[in-house]
Amino acid sequence: MLQKTLLWILGIVGTLVAVAGVMAWMTIGGDREILLVGKTTDAHHQIELTCETCHAAPAFASPAKARRALNKTCRNCHEAELKAAKDSHPPGKFRNPRMAAYWEKLDARFCTACHVEHRPEITRTGAVTVPSDFCVACHSEGEQDVRVNRPSHAGLPFDTCASSGCHNYHDNQALYADFLVQHAGQPWLAPDPVHRLSAQARAGGAGPDARLGRDDAVAPERALRDPAVLDTWAGSGHAAAGENCASCHAPDAGEAAASAELEAHWIETPDTAICESCHRWQAKTFAQGRHGMRRHPRIAKPRDPHRGLAALGLEDWMPPTAIAWFTDPVPPRRMSVGEARPPMRAEAAHQTLHCGSCHSPHSADRVEAAVEACTSCHDDPHTRAYFGSVHHALWEAEVAGEAAPGTGVSCATCHLEKIERRGKIRVSHNQNDLLRPNSKMIRPVCLDCHGLGFSLNALADPDQIKRNFEGQPGTPIESIAWATRHAADNPEEEK
Amino acid sequence: MTLPAATPDTRIVVTLAEEIVLLLLDEQNESFLPIQEAAFKCALTGAVLMELAFANRIDTDLEALMVIDRTPTGNPMLDRILERISDHAETSNTHQWVETLSSQEAIAIREQAVASLVARGILKRERRFPGILRTHRYSKVDGVAEREIKQHIRGILESDDIPDPRDVALICLVDACNILTDIFPRQEIERAGPRIEQLHVMDLIGREVASTIAETKQAIISAVRARAAHFEKRLLGFAIVGSLAALATLVLPRVPIPDRFGPGVFELLWSDETWKQWSGYTLLGLSVAALVVGRFMKTRLVVGLKGHDWWPLIHVGLGVSCVLVLFVHTGFRLGANLNAALMGNYLALLLLGALAGILINKNPRVQRLGISGRLRRLPVRLHLLVLLPLPALLAIHILLVYLY
Repeated sequence: MLQKTLLWILGIVGTLVAVAGVMAWMTIGGDREILLVGKTTDAHHQIELTCETCHAAPAFASPAKARRALNKTCRNCHEAELKAAKDSHPPGKFRNPRMAAYWEKLDARFCTACHVEHRPEITRTGAVTVPSDFCVACHSEGEQDVRVNRPSHAGLPFDTCASSGCHNYHDNQALYADFLVQHAGQPWLAPDPVHRLSAQARAGGAGPDARLGRDDAVAPERALRDPAVLDTWAGSGHAAAGENCASCHAPDAGEAAASAELEAHWIETPDTAICESCHRWQAKTFAQGRHGMRRHPRIAKPRDPHRGLAALGLEDWMPPTAIAWFTDPVPPRRMSVGEARPPMRAEAAHQTLHCGSCHSPHSADRVEAAVEACTSCHDDPHTRAYFGSVHHALWEAEVAGEAAPGTGVSCATCHLEKIERRGKIRVSHNQNDLLRPNSKMIRPVCLDCHGLGFSLNALADPDQIKRNFEGQPGTPIESIAWATRHAADNPEEEK
Repeated sequence: MTLPAATPDTRIVVTLAEEIVLLLLDEQNESFLPIQEAAFKCALTGAVLMELAFANRIDTDLEALMVIDRTPTGNPMLDRILERISDHAETSNTHQWVETLSSQEAIAIREQAVASLVARGILKRERRFPGILRTHRYSKVDGVAEREIKQHIRGILESDDIPDPRDVALICLVDACNILTDIFPRQEIERAGPRIEQLHVMDLIGREVASTIAETKQAIISAVRARAAHFEKRLLGFAIVGSLAALATLVLPRVPIPDRFGPGVFELLWSDETWKQWSGYTLLGLSVAALVVGRFMKTRLVVGLKGHDWWPLIHVGLGVSCVLVLFVHTGFRLGANLNAALMGNYLALLLLGALAGILINKNPRVQRLGISGRLRRLPVRLHLLVLLPLPALLAIHILLVYLY
């Protein structure tokens, strides 16, 4: 009898303690890894423990309120990107009551209609969690019936809309019919293949007045003893732009400061905050991509356990070890190579991602940052096939000075978008800008050297991508042919 | 037998049926001991028939149970049964009478026995939930009666003295119904095994009465066994189905969600939040029901509901339903992290429960496996043990849904 009673007491007390403990983890603070209900997508796994970044609704909010709050957080990070892509299906379009008939089929007012987190089983390319023929929901009947509007599409299955290289749900800037017609019949390779913005970027530089030489270096005596460092700096973009040692190592002292003052303010290894103080836009875009997203300003900050415990009146009598239980684990602000999901080099696993990971601080060598920095970590077939490819050969020729600027193709040429603003070329450090879907790359990169037909075919062929575009792509994409035929058959529509 | 009353010079006569009611009363829980209902009913029927045999009112042979003296005994309960047997036109044997009376008269016998004990101030009966349920709380007025009977029987079992024939009949009756171990500690009964055997073959009364008592006892043994076998067979079937279903959940691969857009059942089941909630709460409801029924198996809380025989069957049936709804809720998906822990715990609970249903089954096929008693009871204990973390895991699972 006593045994039974003890068992009952144990069960009830254990249940209460366990539920209270987990409730505290959920609401006050603590490691919530065990609460993850499923593997997070590749896009969000870096921030999966900062639950409030996405789950912004208050506890026990109604399902409608929780959904609205969740979807609002998607826009926190992705709105600008979608706006730039001229989103073909923006949520706002579906809020129109005329679209109400479609809500039951696929409620496109909400990102979560197609992108649900923690569901690895149904997560497809692009973190899409609806079946791959989802277009059928709206484009199979009524005035949106694509088989009626486009006779060429009559016999096509809906699961090929987005998988064949013809359409994307959001970004169709390089895929819409007029664009296809306009670029029809282009040769696979331009007669003078040069990536215009890369050429401009590499041709540019600081004026001769600003350039500093080795003898101009201002630093405490001990810091000037390494001639190799001085030489590297003197040949760097920083020296060319007139940035002296103190700009980074003693920003508080100022360049004209006396040696003693410099010594007092000298920072041996400046933090990335120093880089960011000048390269603000680069830092901002870096935080928008996979390499730096943990630094994104909209990522939820760790919760303060003291605040939660104080609200419950528990802070004063709770021992520090117990408070430690309710402290959020702070994921390192810098992503490490070892945490990445794509294939990476084992020897680079310990490296973290910050400005200095790709840009050697004294040389600030953009050539090294454009290829070697990437390939020192990435180890997938596409990366490995780069060496020995035509793109690589062209890059080597350009670096060697044997070919004109912009003729070489580095990793950065295709994966880091160059943007022209007020005559200056800026490089977006969000590698995702041109990556998913890969057709985002066509307009700003591929078309400078290749025809649209070849670009579409190449980017829709996974084997070609693995081979780093060596050889010719496989099955051709027929969208250009169909678009031109449609335009020819419907001249009125074209007008 | 006679019991000491409040004053030493008055003696209260208690019938065999009333003695059984007193023996089966659990004073601690103020209800009857949770024994198999068939056994309880057979014991009460047998008690009345034996009482009539002792009063020389009935006689038996291989083919019939007949009334030899229609004179009322003065006890309304005995007289009613005597009248019923007398008025019966067809000839029935003892076995048939035990079957008939235990299914049609046992409750009335119990109620009459209780009423008689209450009327004589031996027992107190109160409404457990006045005005809500027809359940009662039973307690002895002074607690002497039950202790007296128990001590008396214990004395007979522990000594070599020649007992009173009525005591022999009572002991043989409760033993025939397999309820001795419900009244006394198992070890005590195992120790007294040879003495019980001796009592069974003891010839203390006249040949005619003795044969009637023996005939009644045999009829009760076969009736109890027949009912138990029927019940155990169903229970075994349910337990096997339950264990196979739980194993399937553990072993079979998840059922994939088809990559086709549209209102597919699988997609609704495993993707739609509303459906998930429905299946989840159904599962919770079934689990709570199984827990409550599991509790009923141990304590007879609601007298008016179906008898105790049904509780294990309902309990195992609910377990099988839980496995089916679990499939609807998860599609053989085991989940991740705490959800995986919950799934593991739940499946362990279901598997151990089904295994317990198989191993403690009294079906001859299971008995022939020759598994020791301790090993047979192990799954029951583990089943209860894995139940401990389940409420916490379930609560966390539900909280997670509403907090995130």
